[in-house]
Parts: sequence; C-alpha cells; structure tokens
Amino acid sequence: MKEQPIPERLQISPFLVFFMVMSIQIGIGVLGYQRIIAMDAGYDAWISILFAGGCIHVIIWMIYKICDTAGGDIVTAHKYIAGNFIGKALSAIFIGYFILFSLTVLRTFIEVIQVWMFPEINTFWFAFAFMALCVYIIFGGFRTVVGISFFGLVLPAYLILTFGWAIKFSNFYNLLPIWDHSIKELLTASYHMSLTFIGFESIIFFYPFIKEPKKSQKWAHLAVLTTTLIYTTLAIITFAYFSEEQLSKQIWASLTMWKIVEMPFVERFEYIGIANWNLIILPNVCISVWIVSRLIKRVFNIRQKVGVFFIVAVVLFMIIFLDTRDKINMLNDSVGKMGFIFTFIYIPLLFAAVMIAKKLKRGKKK
Amino acid sequence: MKNKRIKEDIQHKEWEQSFIKSKDFKKIFYYNQKTDVRFGLTFMATLIDENIIQDGILPNLLEDEFREIEDIKQLVPVADVQVCDDPSLIEQKLMNGYVMLTIETELKHFGFIAAQKEIVRGLSQPEVEFSVIGPKEAFVESMGQNLNLIRKRLPVKELIIEEFTLGSLSKTSVAMLYMENITNEDNINTVRQRLKNVKFDAITDSSYIVQLISDNSNSPFPQLLDTERPDRVAGILAEGKIAIVVDGSPHVLITPTTLVEFFSSFEDYFLNWILSSFFRLIRLFAVAFSILVTPIYVATLSYHYELIPKDLMSTLITSRREIPLPPILEALFLELTIELLREAGARLPTKVGQTIGIVGGIVIGTASVEAGLTSNVLLIIVALAALASFTTPVYRMGNTIRLLRFPFLFFAELWGLLGIVFCFCVLLTHLTRLTSLGRPFLEPLYPPRVVDMKDALIRLPFEKQSRRPIYLRTKKPIRFSKKKAKKQKDIDE
Repeated sequence: MKEQPIPERLQISPFLVFFMVMSIQIGIGVLGYQRIIAMDAGYDAWISILFAGGCIHVIIWMIYKICDTAGGDIVTAHKYIAGNFIGKALSAIFIGYFILFSLTVLRTFIEVIQVWMFPEINTFWFAFAFMALCVYIIFGGFRTVVGISFFGLVLPAYLILTFGWAIKFSNFYNLLPIWDHSIKELLTASYHMSLTFIGFESIIFFYPFIKEPKKSQKWAHLAVLTTTLIYTTLAIITFAYFSEEQLSKQIWASLTMWKIVEMPFVERFEYIGIANWNLIILPNVCISVWIVSRLIKRVFNIRQKVGVFFIVAVVLFMIIFLDTRDKINMLNDSVGKMGFIFTFIYIPLLFAAVMIAKKLKRGKKK
Repeated sequence: MKNKRIKEDIQHKEWEQSFIKSKDFKKIFYYNQKTDVRFGLTFMATLIDENIIQDGILPNLLEDEFREIEDIKQLVPVADVQVCDDPSLIEQKLMNGYVMLTIETELKHFGFIAAQKEIVRGLSQPEVEFSVIGPKEAFVESMGQNLNLIRKRLPVKELIIEEFTLGSLSKTSVAMLYMENITNEDNINTVRQRLKNVKFDAITDSSYIVQLISDNSNSPFPQLLDTERPDRVAGILAEGKIAIVVDGSPHVLITPTTLVEFFSSFEDYFLNWILSSFFRLIRLFAVAFSILVTPIYVATLSYHYELIPKDLMSTLITSRREIPLPPILEALFLELTIELLREAGARLPTKVGQTIGIVGGIVIGTASVEAGLTSNVLLIIVALAALASFTTPVYRMGNTIRLLRFPFLFFAELWGLLGIVFCFCVLLTHLTRLTSLGRPFLEPLYPPRVVDMKDALIRLPFEKQSRRPIYLRTKKPIRFSKKKAKKQKDIDE
C-alpha cells in the first residue's frame, strides 16, 4: 500500500529544520547540565560536550539515510524492515517515550518556576493552561508548530548575551590543567549530556513534512553544531565562574549565573530569564505532542485532533502524581536513559536493519 | 376593444403597484410637436438629475422628428442610451437612475436614458492617514470619483476593474481592482469567489466587506487593510495586491496584507529610507510598549518587587505608600478611565471632544493622584501607553491594540511575568495561525523570508526594491531590472 505524500502547502522549507532541531534540543537541560557533567569529568567536561556533539552528527547522518531509503518517517522505516503489523507495534513504543518526554520537560519547568519564582503556583492549573496553548498551536497544523519553534528560538536568543555578565567575574584558570581525567570519565560525562542533547531525533518523525528533505540535512548538521558550540561555551563560562566545589552544589547553574546580571532598572534578572524560558519550553512540548499525535494517527488510524486531546489528558493526569523533587528527578533520569537508548543504540540498529533490508530487497528484484 | 386594451394595460403595469406609493415616482406624458407621437417618461425623481431631462432629453424629443423608440439613439445626446424589451429590467434600471421612455404604439419596447444625479463631496484631505509630505487627496463616497483617482495614477490598460453588485437590498456596487499582468491568479480568483459568496442584505460600507470576506472573522486583528489614500492604493496595486472599492465608502480595502504593513505609514515612502526605517522601528517599539508596560507594572509590583533596583524601588514606594488599592485595581481604574475618555472624545463633536480631553486628562488624572487612588508613576505609565498606541498609522489596528492590553493585564495579575510571557505566546500562536487570503499574516517574520525584509521592519532604499514581495507570488516578480553592477569606485577617482 502506497502512503499518501504530504501536500506541498503543508510542508516546510528545508532551512526551517535548523530552527526545529535547535529549539527542541535547547530546553530544560541547559539550565543545569553543568553540575551533572562535572561530577564525572570535572572541569574537562567541555571535551565531553564536544565529543557528544560529534557523535550526534553521525546519528543525524544515519537518520537521513534511514528516511531516504525507506522514503518516509520512522513508521515507514519500521514497515520497510518488519512488515505492517510488527512495524506498527515497534512504532507504538515511541508514543510512550514522547509522552514521557513532554511530561518531563513540562514538569521540570514547573519545578524551576516553583523553586525560583512562585513557590505557590498550582502545578495542575499551569500545566492545564500550557497544554491548552499546545492544543491551540497543534490545531494550527505542522506549520504553526514550526512557527512557534522558530519564535521560541529567535525571540529568546538575546538571553545568550546575558551570560556575558558572568565573564567579568570569571577565572579561566579554573579550567587548567586540561585532560586530567580518564577517557572513561569523559565518556560517562558525554553519556550524561544525553538529556540535554536529545530531541534532535524528532527529525525521523517529521521527515515527510520537509520540502526537498535532502537539502535540509546540512541545516540539521548546522543546528547540532550551533547547539554544541552554545553548550560548550556556556559550560566553559560556568566552569570559569564557579569553583568546582561550588558548582557541585548548584542544581541550576545557569540560573544562578543570572543572579549576577545587573541593569539600571533590573536587579534580579533570573525572573525575566525564567519567564522567557516559557517561550523556549513551548516548542519542546509542542513538537513532542505533535509527534505523538502523528504516531497515533499513523499507527492506530485515529484522527490527529482526537489524539491530541488524548495525549493532553494523559499528561495532565500523570502530572498530578509528580509532586516531589525525587519523583521528578527519577523521571528526568529515566527519560534521559530512554533518550540515550533510543538515539544512540536503537537508531544505529535501525540503520543497520534498513541497510540489510535494502540489500535483500534489491537481491530479490534481481 | 378599448376596454380590453386598458385591461391589458393594467395587467402589464402590475410592476407599478408598489412604485406608485412612493412620492418620488414620476410618470409624465408628452406629445412630439412634429409627429404627434405620445410618449411617456418614467423615473424616480430622487435619483435623477432634472437638468439632464430638461436640457438633454426633452428639447430633442419634443422638437425633432421622433416616431419610434429606436430613434432616441440618434436624438438624445446622452452616451448611455439603451432600448430593450425585457420588462424585468425596469425596476433595476429605474432604481439606478435611468429615465424610462415609452411610446403608446410600442408597448413591448422600452428606452432607457441614463440621468443619474451624482452627488459628489469635494475632495478633502485624508484625516486618519494624514501626511505632511505627499499628496493631500483622499477618497470620497462616490465610487466613480474614487476609481478616477486611482486610474489617474495608473494609466495603463493592465489595470482591470471588475464590478460586482452585492447585497440583496442595498445593491451596492463593489469593484475589484488588480493588475492583469502582475497579480497572482489564485489571489484574484479567491477574492472574486469570496465577493460572490457574500450573503448579506445591506452593505453600507467597506467595513462590512472586511468582516464578511476575511479569513478568520473571529480574530481581533484586521486582515484587510483599509486606506483613504489613492496613492497608497496605486502603490499596492503596482506591488501586485488587490484593491476593493465599495460604492458609498471613502475607504478602499487592500488584500492580502501582513502584520507589519499595518505599522507602516504611507509617508514612510516619501522620506529618506534611513528616516523612515527609524520611524517604523519607533512605531513598533511604541506598540510593544503600549501593550506591555501596564501589565509589567502590575506583575512587578504584585509579585516581583525584587526585580526593581533599590533606588528605583524607593521612588515607587513613595508614590504608592498612600494607595489603598492593589496594583491591578489601580491599573484597571486608570486604563478604563483612558478608554472612557477615548470613547467620549470619539463620539463628541471636535470642539467639545477637545474640552473633554483636557478635563479628563488633567483634572481626573491629577485629582485621582491627589485623592490617593492611583500612584503618579502609574499615571505616567498609562498616559505614555495611551500615547504610544496612537502611533499606529492604521486606525483599525489601533483599536486592536487597545483591546490587547486587557488579557495581558489579566495574566499579569494571575502569574506575574510568567503570565505575560504566556499571554504573549498565545498572541504569537494566534498571529502565526492567521492568514490573509491564505497567505501567512506574519510574513516575512514567519515564514522567515530575508528578501521581503527590505520593506518590513525597516524600509530599504528604492534601488534595493527591485523585486515584488515573494508572498504575493506575482506573475512578474521583478519590478525593474537593476543596472549592471558598476565597477567599484575607489576614493578620488
């Protein structure tokens, strides 16, 4: 059965992939990844970021190879290697993964708000408003989702500059000596970077929505490169700003750095920063909810509109039970692990399977 | 025999039944002096120009040789003369200001002579879109005059004027204007289709058309631009957009539009590009300021007073020390006062309106501060916000901005700065979803098109404007061919 191609008016220009990938990558992790990677690799951890970034380029290349060979998204790829039924069953797993992903992002953001801004904000009602906005965005179609990703990246971009205040109070000798950690420690730190880096694998789900997808590959690579550079620079500034012992106590190191920002009319910049972070979190949740609703449509043949409501209901139901810091932390860890398994183990396996299937199919034709 | 004829006559004239009740329905009979033919003139006295009958029609029909209806084509010195035999046309023609001519010998034929009374207001200066530099002509209520103003500025055969009649009662003529060799065919067809689909009985102004044919009628944002400047219409027609002229309305509609166009005044094109870009940026900043500043005041003073530096804080505290109301009530009180002043000023005659403005602005403002109802800092903020909202060059958009402040205030009270950003996200989503004639409303911001940025937030010089906006998908994307790149000049050469 041939799948219906996506009509051109619903597709996006290749260069918008840059904004999609970057906006889903930059999310909650960037607020506090420095402590986690420094636990293992100390102040050499910036090398681990570069290494992790390098690996992602290979994965992106594989994703494009998979999609190109199978001629569609991951559901098509699964069908390509395992037939209709098993393929759909495999795809269904990711519904759970992305629901958890959006849940983690949203709940962690609310956690940040509760710790830093509003201790008394009601988790459920804020999540409710946030998800209602997501529904409104997704009902506008994929192009609106991409639009929000675009603005969610471009408008808060000025926040990067605010980390400049920390440089004045930094001591870059903190970073020396370089390379006094073992390769194993560096690799562990790279592994811990995964929660901060994941998200880029969403390309495999929206691939059919890209106009001339082959042209978009360079944009995807560029996006990952930019994110890697931003993460590395931010990590280096953080390492120079905090001493190693100080950093080990900072759960949200990036937010703490905002405390030093001072302007004639603004004293505590982190309030503005966190409020702005709303705009950065929005595409994260929107893209993942869109992906789940799309998967539900493709796997179970349920209308996307119905699917969206189902997801929102599930997320809102689950968020009630996430009330303590421990539970949120556990969820973060497990989603990070799942993301790691999915991107760095499952995708290479899928890649190998697709390549073998391609060889076999070609053999049959001969 | 005679009876029968009369009977037939009565049956035949059933259409007259409701006409006769009107006082302005006139039916007069005359005899031609040479041939003794008895003929009748029927017309609506309120719609026709009596001078035309007296000077143009009657002398010729009375004195020249006139035997049958076909003769009027030679006898009457009026361009629009028709002869037909379809009685169903009678009502329409009479109501359009034609004089009907009948002869007793030819009951099946009618002659129609155009004698419309044109009441044209003299051209006046544009009031809403006034500009210091540039033409001072504005559209008036007569469609013929308006079309003349546009056609004079674009004297080419490619400018097509298509006419429709809309409204089952008002029979309003609506004209769609476009450049045949430039404008995108899909856009033309969409507008034509939407105009044909308009179902409303009385269309009295172009504002009706705005609401009836816009993509999303539930949006507070106008999706069609209306202007009273003929030069602006000529300008956008040359860009490849479509203009809609409605009879009886001094505002011409422009479609498709984008959000940034609502913040560009036509005067921007008369000034040097550096100045106009600067003014445009100021205007955009003013709009953002006007929407956000009161909500930010409410958010910071209700929740995040830590945000404010010590020195500024002391000023704020001094001004708010005596105020018994929480910031949100204080802000709502002042915002609503300003809205009241604006409404009152808009409804009253100019001179009274000015007085009310002064009384309201100075007396109420000062009094409420002195009475301890509002802080003077907030008074300054609200007044500045109101002032900033007046910088929008398009009146319709100014109204939208007035409204937008209130949801922001609500969310600011609910969740502080977070609420403001949340509300901003909702607004952003709404704008991203919005289309004008199916074209994205936020273009060139999203979808990002660098080429179209040349005339969006800033306006680059005319030499750089050699391409028409991409989103219009015109048939001729290039306006003029640039000269071949000159050799780079060095200093002192």
